[in-house]
Amino acid sequence: MPRKTTGLLAAAAVALAGTLAACGSSGGSGGTSSSSSNVLKVWWYEAPGSAYQIAWDQAITDFKKQHPGVTVQFSLKSFDQMQQNASMILNSSDVPDVMEYNKGDATTGLLSKEGLLADLTPEATKYGWDKLLGPDLQATARYSPKGVMGSGDWYGVSDYAEYLTVYYNKTLFAKYGIQVPTTMAQLTAAMNKFVAAGITPFANAGDDYMAMQYLYTMELSQETPQQVQNYERYTGPVNFHDTAWTNAVNMFQEWVKKGYIAKDSVGLTATQAGNDFETGKNPMMLSGNWWAGTFESEIKSFDWGTFLWPGNTLDAGSGGNLFVVPKNAANKQLAYDFINDTLQPDVQKLLADNGAVPVSASTAGVTNPLNAQLIQNFQTVANGNGLAYYPDWPTPSFYNLLLAQTQDLINGSNGDQVLSTLQTSYDQYVNSLG
Amino acid sequence: MAAVPRRRSGAGVRTTGTRGAGPYLTYLLPAAVLFTVVIAIPLVMNVYTSFTNWTGIGPRQWAGLANYRQLLHDSEFWASMWHSLALIAAMAVVPAVIGLIVAAALFDVIAKRFSPRVASLLRACIYLPQVLPIIVAAIVWGWILDPQYGALNVALRDVGLGFLARDLLGDPQTALATVMAVLVWFQLGYPVVIFMAALQRADPALGEAAEIDGATWRQRLWLVTVPQIRPEIYVVLLTCTVASLRAFGWIYALTSGGPGVATQVPSYYAYQSFFTNLDVGYGSAIATVMTVIIVAVSVVFLWVQRRHTAGDTT
Repeated sequence: MPRKTTGLLAAAAVALAGTLAACGSSGGSGGTSSSSSNVLKVWWYEAPGSAYQIAWDQAITDFKKQHPGVTVQFSLKSFDQMQQNASMILNSSDVPDVMEYNKGDATTGLLSKEGLLADLTPEATKYGWDKLLGPDLQATARYSPKGVMGSGDWYGVSDYAEYLTVYYNKTLFAKYGIQVPTTMAQLTAAMNKFVAAGITPFANAGDDYMAMQYLYTMELSQETPQQVQNYERYTGPVNFHDTAWTNAVNMFQEWVKKGYIAKDSVGLTATQAGNDFETGKNPMMLSGNWWAGTFESEIKSFDWGTFLWPGNTLDAGSGGNLFVVPKNAANKQLAYDFINDTLQPDVQKLLADNGAVPVSASTAGVTNPLNAQLIQNFQTVANGNGLAYYPDWPTPSFYNLLLAQTQDLINGSNGDQVLSTLQTSYDQYVNSLG
Repeated sequence: MAAVPRRRSGAGVRTTGTRGAGPYLTYLLPAAVLFTVVIAIPLVMNVYTSFTNWTGIGPRQWAGLANYRQLLHDSEFWASMWHSLALIAAMAVVPAVIGLIVAAALFDVIAKRFSPRVASLLRACIYLPQVLPIIVAAIVWGWILDPQYGALNVALRDVGLGFLARDLLGDPQTALATVMAVLVWFQLGYPVVIFMAALQRADPALGEAAEIDGATWRQRLWLVTVPQIRPEIYVVLLTCTVASLRAFGWIYALTSGGPGVATQVPSYYAYQSFFTNLDVGYGSAIATVMTVIIVAVSVVFLWVQRRHTAGDTT
């Protein structure tokens, strides 16, 4: 091949590799540009048909009634699109007035730290949001100057809450004569019955958020609220080799060994695990209340219900995603009014009727017993100050790390080594915060 | 190479051309602008970012060589590099070897004993996976290999071979090998098509002469045909090696690098560092290292190839 081509091919190789680095700047901010004072631009990424979309559509309707001269421009986004382009979008002149964003240090915390979001503290007092949201739900709305959740100024407001619950197949429970378990011993007995009948009791997804939530729930069974704060908010030392974590790892591996969780769930996604519950393959599934709406519309062949993980006073859960107002938003006042609309009784009722937990956590007027049960169970957790957030929140890399480590646990890796890996990564991040 | 002297005879024309190169250079302008915007600037930014700590939002903090030092001690990065070698085997070496045999068989045996049409049809079938979008093919393979409902395990159980049913992608012992097998399936068509085209170009008289001298089919393939199609072999090896170092879609859609880090590769690791771990500086460092490796591999390949080609002409 001629010499000239060598250079060209080498350049092409550079180009191919360089694309990898450049792929971050794809996509665009989208939406039409208009900064007129009578336009409210709203962005969110909840799927059409979800409880949130149904409720927030109502909030838009209410808002339009209160502001007859104002046009509402709504755009449906994806979370990936928002996260990967957040700084570009929020630094541009074409920003939304109000947008949904994930709660937590690595998302809203980071944006607030970089000064990209408006401080909502005065509005929280003015509109009474600080009264409406209990301390557990306020934790994910407020961020310190370092971007750590739990204290400081308000940078977002959520109008719903979420938590982990056990979904169970009532028909299969009845078939095998099993009552809803209220203690770990009863749950174990129930699982043994299913295993004896050749049924894997719990649906699980190793290639998704589910497996780490089993592990965390097991860990929470021996955790104190203070330890949760230390883990999530760096308020004290965190030892992954303590009894709670050690027992959780052992218990998780024992569950896999005994067949309570299938070993071949290691490569499954949450959708596949959800399907396994929907088809009746697994009679139980531990996951977020966000599944309720889907199950209500899709499960026709059996009755199902929910119960809290037996024996725990702490359960994974938190306030929902936040509505935030970008610093550069053109019409902040309209944005505040819209946020306030999402907290009104009619919108809250729609959330409750569609399987979500409204921040008011009121069951008044909720006719579907499944939804009422979900809200009651949430009240039980929240009243005991039992919301323990999620296992992957402390560091941005913990989601990937926990996912890989729980996969290793399912495949029989040494539990102690897994905990050491978590400890190293955790310490490294906390030290880097200074 | 007979063409070389003729090309040289054109040198005089080229010299005349350079006097008025200005107008011709304008034709390069669009490409130069594109190159700068799409390749050069992102590359420089990537290299710069790799020397900083950055979450992707807010200002970058200069970190010197910290990201590269971290790479040296990162077991996941080294695991991903080893897996890259496995992918080179699966996407370049194995397909090139099997591709050569298949191409020769199609060209020498099928086309001659049956008909060239049958050979073309088979070639098209083997090439088909290359036409599929990677994500689509990967998702379908994910279904086939699903431990519970996947076609493979269901078929094995149906014919009484249930004991062979495995969670191939979920077991760290088999995950990488399974991904490699899928990649061989995907990649094979490319060398087959290139090699079949090359075989059309090869001089049949040489093969016939060797046959008269009593050379077996294997000897003719190895000693007569392969040296003639060496340029194509280099092209296949180079492009496939570069493709394997960039392999992303397959890992993204099939395994997400798991179970654990059993199928982690640098491109996916860089993506995770960039977008989910919010460690953009570290992700850039991985991308930079991969860029250097890919350029180095390309240069070495082209150097070896030029040496061989030069050797052939003298």
